[in-house]
Amino acid sequence: MELQLELQSQRSPRRFFPNPAKLAVNALLLLFTASCIIPLLWIGYSSLKTQAEFANNILSLPSAPQFSNYWEAIKLTNMLQLSWNSARVTFLSVIGITAIAYVTGYITARLDFKGKRAMIFYYLFGMLVPIHALLVPIYLLFKNWGLADQWYTLIIPYIAFNLSLPIMLVSSYVMGIPREIEEAAAIDGLSFSGTMYRIILPIAVPVLTTVAILQFFSCWNEFSFALVLLNDESLRTVPLGMSYFKSQHSTNYPQLMAGMILSMLPVTIIYFVFSSRIIAGVMSGAIKG
Amino acid sequence: MGKALRPRGWVLVAYLLPGLLIYSFVVLVPILAALRDSFYSWTGGPKKTYIGTGNYKEILQDDVFWHSFLNNVLMTAYGLIGQVGFGFVFALLLMSKMVKLKGLHRTMSYFPSTLAPVIIAFLWMLVYNYNYGLLNAGLTKLGLGALVQSWLDLTGPIVLLASIPLSWQNIGFFTLLMLAGLSTINKEVLEVAELDGATGVRKAWYIIIPLAKPTLVVASLLCIANNMRGFEHIYALTGGGPGNSSSVMALYAYETSFLRFRYGYGSALAIAIITLTMLMILLSTLILQRRNHSKGGA
Repeated sequence: MELQLELQSQRSPRRFFPNPAKLAVNALLLLFTASCIIPLLWIGYSSLKTQAEFANNILSLPSAPQFSNYWEAIKLTNMLQLSWNSARVTFLSVIGITAIAYVTGYITARLDFKGKRAMIFYYLFGMLVPIHALLVPIYLLFKNWGLADQWYTLIIPYIAFNLSLPIMLVSSYVMGIPREIEEAAAIDGLSFSGTMYRIILPIAVPVLTTVAILQFFSCWNEFSFALVLLNDESLRTVPLGMSYFKSQHSTNYPQLMAGMILSMLPVTIIYFVFSSRIIAGVMSGAIKG
Repeated sequence: MGKALRPRGWVLVAYLLPGLLIYSFVVLVPILAALRDSFYSWTGGPKKTYIGTGNYKEILQDDVFWHSFLNNVLMTAYGLIGQVGFGFVFALLLMSKMVKLKGLHRTMSYFPSTLAPVIIAFLWMLVYNYNYGLLNAGLTKLGLGALVQSWLDLTGPIVLLASIPLSWQNIGFFTLLMLAGLSTINKEVLEVAELDGATGVRKAWYIIIPLAKPTLVVASLLCIANNMRGFEHIYALTGGGPGNSSSVMALYAYETSFLRFRYGYGSALAIAIITLTMLMILLSTLILQRRNHSKGGA
């Protein structure tokens, strides 16, 4: 009791004055946070200017919003085609990643079998291997097997390169589910597969949602393998299409900016709708990974 | 789990096989194929000439490759400061009771991590642009017009200039990672430390940093792995230029194979990159863990 009183009297003077350290820390963090969004806001409003207006003063707000930049960007990039290609590849990859990660993660969490440690290590290796060193060998392999330049081409590397972390996330999540649930299911006569799909899968929905959202970003944004494995213009994904658009129309900045805004629209919407879940997912992955 | 629930062997294999097959096809098979191709002189046609270790001997004398490797190392160093270092400081600040709007800071600083590296590179190309760049406009506004220049044409600090977008994009991720690590520290330890009079910087230095060491080690390893394999940012931002001054290993291997059609040499480069990266990760694991032990013992 005495100790507490003493502590309070020691602390109380601080509370009444505006603390310079407190101001400085808050100002610093606000500055940092602002620096993360100001360049994007600048692109956002600059995309609504005419070329002349932009060249005249790059910082000023648009006097009359030019939505025509967006129509031009959609036409020139063939944005609808790009988005459809990206959506198809991303959707199927995310389904594949989530399904494989669930089954593999569940089994590694619950069963002991020969070679389990080797398998976990093998998947972990994928997180460290410099995947961009593999651009050349993967291109040669895909070309030999006739797998390059197909509508499904990108799904293969996208699933493979995104398995490591999801498997670990699922595995540690399943370890946190009490085993008694499965034992009860076994007594009721449910098979291993039945338990995995009908009992545990519904419980694992939160971690699977996190996995799916995080891998959505990774697949939607991927560029290198799309660059190397696709020649066919009609198969290009959004980041790939944007890079060609940029090199062909690099002088019309407001139009380029409109294209950039369009290309990041899906991830931006998903991020701000699910941000708390995404942040929690990244943090739990960080602790367990 | 009881024996009753154990699936038959073939069921287990059937469940694990799809993942292992697709993963091996894209990770293991290309490495083995690259190892084989690296002993040939091959321009992609039907003619492959066995040249033994010729490609590897050439790599040892390839100045551009070693310059690219040094750029990777330099980028890693900048990354450790800009991503792990600043991430840790911001996480510490976000832990303190003084800070308001914590949710806003977390949400906004992680947002760039969700954008495509290509878009990040375009954005920073616009920031660095001579005539229409945010950086030059800002400098002019601040009365520092003398500093205005064509940033991406500077050969000297080009690696630093290319590392800034990378740090900008990833700092939010590392802040979250650190926050997660710091949140596992026992609250009672911190309270006892405060009762003993350790506050602010002293608390951070003597209590939090030693306890956060495992998180710092994991973050550093991730950062090293990320920067050693950097490709997309550099490809889209500078294309390795001016000249080769900002080239990185993966970009050099890409150009050698796809622009000069030297697939044998490109394969040897792939093996060299994997080997060098693994060595770097191994070396840093040893260094970080040794320091960890000696600090722990002291």
